[in-house]
Amino acid sequence: MSIILVGLNHKTAPVEVRERLAFTDEACAASLRALVDGELVREGLIVSTCNRVEVLAATAEKVSAPQTAQHITQFLSQSRSISHEFFSHHLYSHADDEAVRHVFRVASSLDSMVVGEPQVLGQVRRAYSLAVEAGTAGRVLSRLVHHALRVAKRVRTETGIASSAVSISYMAVELGRKIFGSLDGRTVLLVGAGEMAELSARHLVNAGAARVLVTNRTDETARKLAAEFGGEAVDYARLTSHLSRADIVICSTGAPDYVITQAIAREALAERRHAPSFFIDISVPRNIDPAIGGMSNLFVFDIDDLEAVIASNIREREREAERAELIVDSEVMQFQQALRALDIGPALGAMREKMQQIARAEMQRQRNRLGNLTPEQERAIEALLIATVNKISHPVMHRMRHSYDTGEEEDLQAWRDIFGLEE
Amino acid sequence: MNFPPSAFDPSLSACICGCFRYGNLSPLSLIHYNNGAVYLLSKIAMKPLLFTVLAAYVVAAIHSILAFANKRRVLERVSFVALVFGFSVHTISLVTDWLRDGHYPLFGLRETLSFLAWTLVIAYFLTLGRYAAQALGSFTLPLVALLTFIASVTRGTTPATPDAVTESGAAWLFPIHTTLLVFAYASFFVVFAASVMYLLQERELKLKTFSAIFHRLPSLSTVNDIATTAAGIGFTLLTLGVISGMIWSSSRDGRLWHNDPKEIFAVLTWALYLVLVHYRYTARWRGRKAAWLGVAGFALVLCTFFGARLMGGYHVFG
Repeated sequence: MSIILVGLNHKTAPVEVRERLAFTDEACAASLRALVDGELVREGLIVSTCNRVEVLAATAEKVSAPQTAQHITQFLSQSRSISHEFFSHHLYSHADDEAVRHVFRVASSLDSMVVGEPQVLGQVRRAYSLAVEAGTAGRVLSRLVHHALRVAKRVRTETGIASSAVSISYMAVELGRKIFGSLDGRTVLLVGAGEMAELSARHLVNAGAARVLVTNRTDETARKLAAEFGGEAVDYARLTSHLSRADIVICSTGAPDYVITQAIAREALAERRHAPSFFIDISVPRNIDPAIGGMSNLFVFDIDDLEAVIASNIREREREAERAELIVDSEVMQFQQALRALDIGPALGAMREKMQQIARAEMQRQRNRLGNLTPEQERAIEALLIATVNKISHPVMHRMRHSYDTGEEEDLQAWRDIFGLEE
Repeated sequence: MNFPPSAFDPSLSACICGCFRYGNLSPLSLIHYNNGAVYLLSKIAMKPLLFTVLAAYVVAAIHSILAFANKRRVLERVSFVALVFGFSVHTISLVTDWLRDGHYPLFGLRETLSFLAWTLVIAYFLTLGRYAAQALGSFTLPLVALLTFIASVTRGTTPATPDAVTESGAAWLFPIHTTLLVFAYASFFVVFAASVMYLLQERELKLKTFSAIFHRLPSLSTVNDIATTAAGIGFTLLTLGVISGMIWSSSRDGRLWHNDPKEIFAVLTWALYLVLVHYRYTARWRGRKAAWLGVAGFALVLCTFFGARLMGGYHVFG
């Protein structure tokens, strides 16, 4: 049994190639059934996201890795109806330990474009359930995927790989949490209706913010955006009084100068009885006077501040990723051990060996009675014995292999017990 | 440190306990134990309970700091279990001291430090019960371990038993006075630790550069709440403690005030926390200035606590 992975990702292939190879969920199920022929490829799974297309396969014993890789490349070319010259030089292929390591790294988000991003774990899970539905995820790949999910969880909890935000909208959530503890029940005020402001507000609402106020020079735009959040469009002229209600203010107007000045901020702060406010200024030129940041209980971040923090968070993630690689290394070894225990091959080999030994021992016992034999005759008798034993044990081993492949643990154990084989 | 096996021979420790029961080393017993390590061992054998407590607190403190640095849940749990164990044994040890010595175990330097450590653990537990602020452990537990260590190696100079305090009419008030104040000090330590956490994070938020510890500390809102609540509790306890002390003192010698350094510092402390509590409770949030007051207040608390010892006066009994 061997595990082979063939695929391409954002590092090896441009988007024009990735999009041509990508599988929809429906195409995925149908293709999987085509891939897994039971002869060469026993189990299969396809991970297809916007950044990667990877085919993972578990093969029968006697197939070499390059041969399988070749087979999978052909499969990709056929199932996507693309000539393999178009993509084959972007492909990488890994076998056994390296394939296992690759799957662990992908699930742990170490191979992602943004290291530590959480979506890839869900995508791996999705790929697995598609394979389960298609009936192509057998015991090897199931074990592998479950192990990968465990590794991903370990990496997440034991390293800081995903602990800090690396996008502006998540940054807003993270800093908001740092200041307010929980965002539950907080009020967000959008001044101006930019796309970035909208995205940040969406993340804040998902993180628990209760109310969204929207204000804009043109009321129509404000109303439209407010409707999307189930929020409230408020009067632009009365900005100060709305500011005093808001815990988090996201400013993104096209105004050429400061919309929120020190005087306005001071007034709002007094009205809030000194409860802190968090200002995010994503407009260029800036709309919030940076001097406000010097005032007690007011925290101002402009676009450059956020970018700088994000850059340092990315460096931090990369440092943590090195620790994560060590975890992956040790897990690959553990998986390899688990896999060896799982493999039926050695057990069958041992059984055949045992039978043949019995035959040879019987031959030795009766040898004297046979009198003088030519070496040819002697070999012929031995061959006869071995062939008989093999012919008798063959259907048994075939049944065992079948029980193993279909996961009938009890039958398998019964066969083992009959022949006195240790697990 | 290597312990000779005999150090844990029960009959030997019983003998040592017998010799040292009241804390004074007799020269005779030193004939057999005439070097420093053995002396320290004899102290350990004398206070097995307190050393068990110390060991548990040290484990809790180290794991709490490791959990702070590594963000591992397992370490947090180890720290918590060790702390609960240490605290239970500590409680037993305080009760046995009380029964054995016949006085409330809060008198003299050794007992006060041990009691203060116990109180800090309670304050930490109460804070954890209400806020997700495990980081507070990394501030509190090393101090708890240090206080316990000093208490365990300090000579048990239980001063000529507190006759001085038991002879008055309202003797029962004295332990209440001291207990209230020790609990007030523990609350003020929590205010101090929360204020430091506030200031560290506020500074980083203003500078917009975040260090590794930034992500491990509880949110500004949490530490602000902790400081406000703890300041209120501490101030109430301090007020009651001062009042009970005055009543006790007047029943003893008819005087409310002795112009003693500890009393002067206590009044200054009281005034400062009055300002702090007023300042904090008249707005929804005060932030940096209140945090600095919390730090300054704790400096005064330390002066009050140690001031009497350095400058002498009415409050020195030992």
